[in-house]
Amino acid sequence: MNGLTGAREGARAGVAGGLRRMVARAMARDLCAFFVPGMDVARARGLDLDAAGLHRADTPRRANVLLVAGPLPPSLLDAACVAWAQMPRPRAILALGAGEIAPLPGPDVAEDLSQSGLAAGLAALRRAVAAGAFAPEVTDFDAPALAVRVEYTCPMHPEVVSDKPGSCPKCGMDLVEREASAGDHGGHAGADETGGGGRRGHEGHGSDNAPAPSRAYTCPMHPEVVSDKPGSCPKCGMDLVEREASTWDHGRHAGAVETGNGDHRAHEGPGGHDTHDTPAPSGVYTCPMHPEVVSEEPGSCPECGMTLVPKDQAGDHAGQVHAKQQGHGGDSGHGGHGSAPEVPGIEPHFMSMVDMTRDLPASPDGLRMEWIEVPFGPFFPGLPGGLGLTFTLDGDSVAAARAESLVPGVLAPGLPAAELADRLAAQGPLAPAALRELACRALEAAAGAAPPPEWGAARAAALERARIASHLNWLAGLARQVGLVTLERRVAALHQRLRQADAADCARVAPALGALGARVRGTPLLRDRLAGIGQIDGRAAAEAGGPVARAAGHAVDARADDPAYAALGFRVIAGKDTGTGGDAWARLVQRLAEIDQSLDLIARAGAIAEAAHSADLLAELPSDGHAMARVETPRGPSTLHLTLQGGTIAEARLTTPFARLAAQIGPMTAQMELAEALTAVASLDLDPWGARP
Amino acid sequence: MSVAQALFLIFFGAAAVWFGIVVFRTHSMVRSAIALLFSQTAVGAMFLVMQAEFLGVLQIMMMATEMSVMAIFMVMFMMDPGGMGKMDMTHQKRLSLWAGGIGLVAALAVIWGAGWTGPVPPVPGAAEQAAALGRELLGRSMFIFEAAALMILTAMVAATMVAIAPREEDD
Amino acid sequence: MTLAIILFALALGCYLIAVLEDWAVHGRLDPLRPAVSALALLGREQVLPRKSDRLFFEVGPVLLLVAGLLAVAVIPLAPGLIVTDLATGALFLNAALAYVLVALIMAGWGPNGAYAMIGGWRFLGQFVAYAMLIVMTITAVAMRAESLSTTEIVTSQAALWNVFYQPIGFVLFVIAAMGLAWLPPIDLPTGGGDLAGGVEAEYTGARLAVLRLARLVIVLALASATATFYLGGWLGPWLPAWAWTAAKTLAVAAAMLFLGRHLPRLREARYLAVSWKLGIPLALANIILVGVIALVVPI
Repeated sequence: MNGLTGAREGARAGVAGGLRRMVARAMARDLCAFFVPGMDVARARGLDLDAAGLHRADTPRRANVLLVAGPLPPSLLDAACVAWAQMPRPRAILALGAGEIAPLPGPDVAEDLSQSGLAAGLAALRRAVAAGAFAPEVTDFDAPALAVRVEYTCPMHPEVVSDKPGSCPKCGMDLVEREASAGDHGGHAGADETGGGGRRGHEGHGSDNAPAPSRAYTCPMHPEVVSDKPGSCPKCGMDLVEREASTWDHGRHAGAVETGNGDHRAHEGPGGHDTHDTPAPSGVYTCPMHPEVVSEEPGSCPECGMTLVPKDQAGDHAGQVHAKQQGHGGDSGHGGHGSAPEVPGIEPHFMSMVDMTRDLPASPDGLRMEWIEVPFGPFFPGLPGGLGLTFTLDGDSVAAARAESLVPGVLAPGLPAAELADRLAAQGPLAPAALRELACRALEAAAGAAPPPEWGAARAAALERARIASHLNWLAGLARQVGLVTLERRVAALHQRLRQADAADCARVAPALGALGARVRGTPLLRDRLAGIGQIDGRAAAEAGGPVARAAGHAVDARADDPAYAALGFRVIAGKDTGTGGDAWARLVQRLAEIDQSLDLIARAGAIAEAAHSADLLAELPSDGHAMARVETPRGPSTLHLTLQGGTIAEARLTTPFARLAAQIGPMTAQMELAEALTAVASLDLDPWGARP
Repeated sequence: MSVAQALFLIFFGAAAVWFGIVVFRTHSMVRSAIALLFSQTAVGAMFLVMQAEFLGVLQIMMMATEMSVMAIFMVMFMMDPGGMGKMDMTHQKRLSLWAGGIGLVAALAVIWGAGWTGPVPPVPGAAEQAAALGRELLGRSMFIFEAAALMILTAMVAATMVAIAPREEDD
Repeated sequence: MTLAIILFALALGCYLIAVLEDWAVHGRLDPLRPAVSALALLGREQVLPRKSDRLFFEVGPVLLLVAGLLAVAVIPLAPGLIVTDLATGALFLNAALAYVLVALIMAGWGPNGAYAMIGGWRFLGQFVAYAMLIVMTITAVAMRAESLSTTEIVTSQAALWNVFYQPIGFVLFVIAAMGLAWLPPIDLPTGGGDLAGGVEAEYTGARLAVLRLARLVIVLALASATATFYLGGWLGPWLPAWAWTAAKTLAVAAAMLFLGRHLPRLREARYLAVSWKLGIPLALANIILVGVIALVVPI
């Protein structure tokens, strides 16, 4: 073994002496993997890290093995590059059936994608680490996804962006460095994976389309002094500072303040705040206590003597008084308002919170804070792998959320019909059986053929087994997210037993699954943790489809119209059967009930056979035509539109439940506490794989 | 007072002053708050050196939490709390200079004017001090402390009321 | 000599707690694992996040360790086996552990990462929940002992352990202590599924080793404090005094470590609400009850 090949990108610099050799042996025993693309995919692919003796890391910083399983799309490989760059040396890559993984360095060990492959790969990796954790020469890792462009911006005026260091033309403060990604991967490929160090996502900055303000200079102490040229104040001799007199794109400014500790990306144009052009300053002042007092001049209230404050003319921020002119004259945003009382020796609005926070976006609780944008995913430990979730955080509550799939599915046109099922199934590692069924049904619809009834029942049973496996996989992920590690282990073990089980095995696992359901429902504090979280009701729930809709009491299920299911005596379970409604707890109870139901259906079907198309079926396919099929996948209905042309598939349009469920995230998580919002997102059971780009 | 005690006292005194200076010399609000914390902690350590054990421990405990709470308010409300833009921590320099100067003169006057001579009474043991402090708090000074507590409570409620932004419908 | 014995006991205790924690997390008992992990950790590269507040980043873990060590200094292992028997020991324990908060805020702020920062500030919220409970339960313990000295608190339980004398206080103290040591289910600053390590997320190599060690010391300090305040410390028949302290401490630590693995992480708002709306009235009731019992029935 010549150690960590991945060339010398994995080893740590140093000559392997006696002590180092001991340390290297300890490292070989203490392997800790960061799993790409996510533990849910690992489980769905039948990998059991615990059984292989491999610990799992929540963040790349904690890992010394980057475990890449299965082929990854380029966007995830770029994200994996960032994770790799964040891992401290010595580090190694173990690729399981991953194929070509550039721009990552070549794998130290490559094996096939199976549990035995994992075990063999680990054994080889342990030897490699023990031998080559330290190398006299190491090389730096570099990839396009890591490239950053350094730019300089003013902490007070984020719209000021420059390529060179210097001082801000508006307030004279030193510009600070920040990083913007150089690549053009839609702002996400390079985004930080689990929030580790260098956050280098796309940094949109507001300089492009901010209105060009006209310049005016004013004295920080004497706001009545206004000049159109820089100079010093005739009253106190201080240098005049620039302010903007023109219209001001409020939203852009409000959101785009960089947080002080560096490169947390600032929020840009929060919903409801942008494109809110505040008018040029006009003198309407009012008393905070006596709104009936209105004056055109600054001064004090005749009733209580308080200083009058500028009245908000736009008035869309829940009564918040806010500026119509740029208030930051000097260093911390004070000065600049005509309403300030002239107390000798005290700066106007000294340490006034109203002044300092007036340009920050206001959340409904009225507290104005800086908003930061934090990426969760695509490899976040508590969320599905491949999901790019971005929260705009106002303190620790979610002000805005954006979710997208980083693993969309694209089928190249001209695909032979025989390959459709395999290709589709390969696109969705979390639900291959359901996609296979969908492909077969679409082809059957195109050919106008239907499978024999007993064949249909066995295929329905295969779909139900996939449903149980999917729900268990989800439950393991949720358990991880809320910190129930024992439950996660137990569920993952059951998932492995059931994943490929035949009907008889399913019957044997059934009692254990029943006990699991009782255990989950009876877990102390779990209901408390989930109840009331992520409430989705009414029309929104019905649109979401799948278990989310059924948990909210809508009896919507594509299986209800299916003759194969009718023969098995299928009946839709909805929220009213489980006695809950619409929240994360209801979704948990719903899925547990569906597991029981699916076991029952499998028992009735008596046999399990995954969908496959016979050569006869392919022979019957028309060379041109159109067909559509619809299947209730574990997450909701998926549809496939096929267009056949000249014997091949010209277009295959797959609609998975992802988009419908992801659309719920924004409204659902608004103003939720971060942990609760993440639980709510996890409770939706999103499957980003194969979603429409 | 032994030499070791004197040395420790000087050390912690210097630390308190140095952290106090750091409060204004740093650009970062958070560092400023934490420096203030450690300045107060050093004062607590001075109490400990001067054998006022209960007071010292109390000071060290209270300041940790108070200053941490202050730090979070700074982060919440201030722009640029990390000091990336080289924010200046000094304000109202003239007033501050005068106030500081007067304070210094007053302190020096007290040092100068106090009668430092005479036998130093023996310091009671820490347990005795705590007991005496308890009797004092629940005896003669009870009214003062209860009144102060009530005032702080009132101030807390009032501050919360003021902090709640008036809503549209209240106008 | 005393110091050497206590340091040895501390190191051994930390190691055993690390074994227990590993067992609780991974479901497998491996007595060698903490040693292997520590060795591996020391050999790994130390990454300094870009644009970090270097001072805070470095000082955070060290301050955490110092806070834990100071807290341990006032816990008696056996009569006479204590680093310093302060007359204000119980209060001093509090004062030292208050710096856990400061250290975590510094460690959270320092690395310039969103998860770490949120984790650090979250701990401040958590502090608001547990702080009053710790102080108020210790007050009741000190009332019975008529002293803040930890050794006198132990001797005051000769007739009846405080766990039976003031069971409400015991339960509240354990819950609050788990919050202080950010043990699951109250591990809000580091929650794996929420913040991917939170405060710990950016630390690697030797710095992480210090952080982990400090956490172990804090767990040990709180477990031994529980044993001292409520389980009669070194008191017990047959075995030597130090063995009783060690056994009780490890039992408490094991209970704290294993309990959380079966419960979902608490919601922060929930923890705050329960602590203030239920915990503090109960703690007040506990103080009154203990006061009445102490005056009426001399045990």
